[in-house]
Amino acid sequence: MGFTLRIGQAVLWLACSTAWAQAESVKLPDNLHHNPTWLTLGHYHQDRFGSDYTSQADDPAFFLSDNGKTSPRAELEATLEAIQQPGGGDSHARCRFPARDAWLREQLDFPDTPVNCPAFEEWAGTLNTEKVTLVFAASYLNSPSSMFGHTFLRLDPPQDDEETDLLLANTVSYAADAAEHDSELLFAYRGIFGGYPGITSIKPYYEMIRLYNDIEHRDLWEYTLNLDQQEVDTLLAHTWEIQDKNFDYYFFDENCAYRLLALIDAARPGTDLLDEVSTHAIPSDTVRWVRDAGLLESIHYRPSAATSVAHSLDSLPTDHQTIAAALANGYVAVNDPEVRKLGKDDRAQLLDATYDYVRYQSEAEGWPREHAAPLSHQLLVARSQIEDAAELPEVPEPEIRDDQGHDTFRLSLGSGQLAHSEFTQLTIRPAYHDVLDPPAGYRTGAQLQFLRLDARLYHKNDELQVEQITGVEIRSLSPRNQFFAPISWQVGFGGRRTDTGDDRVLAPYLEGGAGGSWSLAQNTQAFAIATTDVEIDDDIKRGYDFAPGADLGLLHQNNRFSLLTGVKTKAWIVSSQHRQDQFYAEANWHIGREFSLFAKFTREDHYDRYQSTWQAGLHAYF
Amino acid sequence: MKKLIAGAILLGASSMAFAQPGCGVGAMIWKGQSGIAPHVLAATTNGTFGNQTFGMTTGTLGCQTNQSVQSMAMYMDSNIDKVARDMSRGSGENLDTLAVLLGVEETDRDTFRKVLQDNFASIFPNADTTSGEAVDAIVALLEQNDALSKYVAA
Repeated sequence: MGFTLRIGQAVLWLACSTAWAQAESVKLPDNLHHNPTWLTLGHYHQDRFGSDYTSQADDPAFFLSDNGKTSPRAELEATLEAIQQPGGGDSHARCRFPARDAWLREQLDFPDTPVNCPAFEEWAGTLNTEKVTLVFAASYLNSPSSMFGHTFLRLDPPQDDEETDLLLANTVSYAADAAEHDSELLFAYRGIFGGYPGITSIKPYYEMIRLYNDIEHRDLWEYTLNLDQQEVDTLLAHTWEIQDKNFDYYFFDENCAYRLLALIDAARPGTDLLDEVSTHAIPSDTVRWVRDAGLLESIHYRPSAATSVAHSLDSLPTDHQTIAAALANGYVAVNDPEVRKLGKDDRAQLLDATYDYVRYQSEAEGWPREHAAPLSHQLLVARSQIEDAAELPEVPEPEIRDDQGHDTFRLSLGSGQLAHSEFTQLTIRPAYHDVLDPPAGYRTGAQLQFLRLDARLYHKNDELQVEQITGVEIRSLSPRNQFFAPISWQVGFGGRRTDTGDDRVLAPYLEGGAGGSWSLAQNTQAFAIATTDVEIDDDIKRGYDFAPGADLGLLHQNNRFSLLTGVKTKAWIVSSQHRQDQFYAEANWHIGREFSLFAKFTREDHYDRYQSTWQAGLHAYF
Repeated sequence: MKKLIAGAILLGASSMAFAQPGCGVGAMIWKGQSGIAPHVLAATTNGTFGNQTFGMTTGTLGCQTNQSVQSMAMYMDSNIDKVARDMSRGSGENLDTLAVLLGVEETDRDTFRKVLQDNFASIFPNADTTSGEAVDAIVALLEQNDALSKYVAA
């Protein structure tokens, strides 16, 4: 039955197309297939070698021509023919590619004859979009690896309508469709070298809030774009075209942020946000591009559950904080006199903050349900008996947004001295932030650097040496208090100069550590980290060496000045069997968020001799 | 308009399997840890692991014929902890969302918030209340209220 039907359709289609072929043929302007809008709608990019174009879409369903992936011209011709077919219905090209259809009709002065596309119309009607908001999920506390952020688009319904609600608004995101059972290593490999399909998907905003705000503890920044209704409609039409189509996903460039930029480019031709992408598209950078392209209308901040609960607890008076901690841990009951004797507003705020804290601990720290659920219930029942209480103060919006922090590419030039040998050092760090960089717009105590290269020119013999190559370096120092007990940690690998006793050789290393950090004053924390180091090299006696160690230090960060100082000790126990003790101090003076002057000094005791290194210079951020 | 919103919710959940259970089923409130996947890499690289998202549990769609109530049930199912919190306070955006889903008009919203706050203990009688049970209790409460009964009429 289905088969006959399909044959019937095919015959009908053939008949129609023959009928069409006999009709007058429309002449395409010569260069229309190289029109930037057409290239954007087809996701065509010029090949690295040669002048041909290839589409980034990896899905035959995205093309009407068999050669569509590599020929903008063939695809344009096929599109032109297809949209002129009579009829309508969901499988008609005009319904499958409404953005192409509208653009081509405008270019060729075709009448915009109505077409019946039930599925698309229902979809667009349901999305009911007036404004588009770019949502940026910031990095979260104690997870520097999330520093890249994540972006997605929210489709906002008309706001003057009391029957709509932003939590129910839909969102468009593009993500790697990784199989659940894939290991992280495979995930990383296929992410970098390709192999995961990337899928555009639509989900309600409340689900994204749940994922990013509540589970991952990421603050959300909502950047409402100034697209007008027609541009919004184009964006939707193009979203429809790429929805469920496969575009291979690459973490560094063709990632979540990238595909969204393409959607914005399609909505407002000439924006050319994709031209900003070079080797990588860090979501927080893409927010800057959108900002710089003049696309922002308004900005709203939505703090994460973690930010809110920390702020709620902070706003309680100190003695109420103690009661909150006791309540949460079960030392004081909801109906005990300590709680009951409080005034209405104080009691309401105490119960609110405690509930939020218990929920946070259950979510983040895995508090057992047997403890958390009955307690949560008691807290809410008690709270529901207090009416019209003053609410806890809202989390204030940070003065400096993430997109206003220093730029992430850093170039440094300095000169210094290593054991009386003078050198000039050049450092290139493509991304992202270290604890001594200007802190505004970044999480306190968080550091993520990758692909950093330090090269030194020693003056005495004009010798150029690689001092260090940092593959990845992640560090997180988050202070502990009576409510939160995060672990401070660090991990890194790369290659660095190591002292073998009579030479400094470049050796691959792997380092890690874990410990705690405590706040001493605002902007200042002290930390104690247990560390391990592994170095591998032919010049090391047994080919490798291993060192347990410790790092005790002090970190101060403010917008003018940052300081990191402390002592480190490492006991190399496999090959050299020497202890390496070090005092270090490094300070940066920030000149706005574009430059920092830096100075550092280390004094080291290794192989029974003392050695000092100092260095000073300038960091510039691009 | 109301239909559109209900549709929006259903669209978002289109990937979930509709198990069509009986009434009163749904997510247990405070069901415990959702689990922060060890997603260092996922976070760095902006991918998502399938298991990182949290499917809605079985819905309460089997027994309610009122589409607004169905939408509310679906919303409650995935946001039960936050809805309960806002209800105990008598304010909050999740409570506003419930009002929108039920189509409660602006003039009735104060009553709506107050009724839910005052009756918190009967909507959530214990720590094991499920979202479905809470929905049933809310519907029963609103039916008894002169101003609000029209929003839950079948």
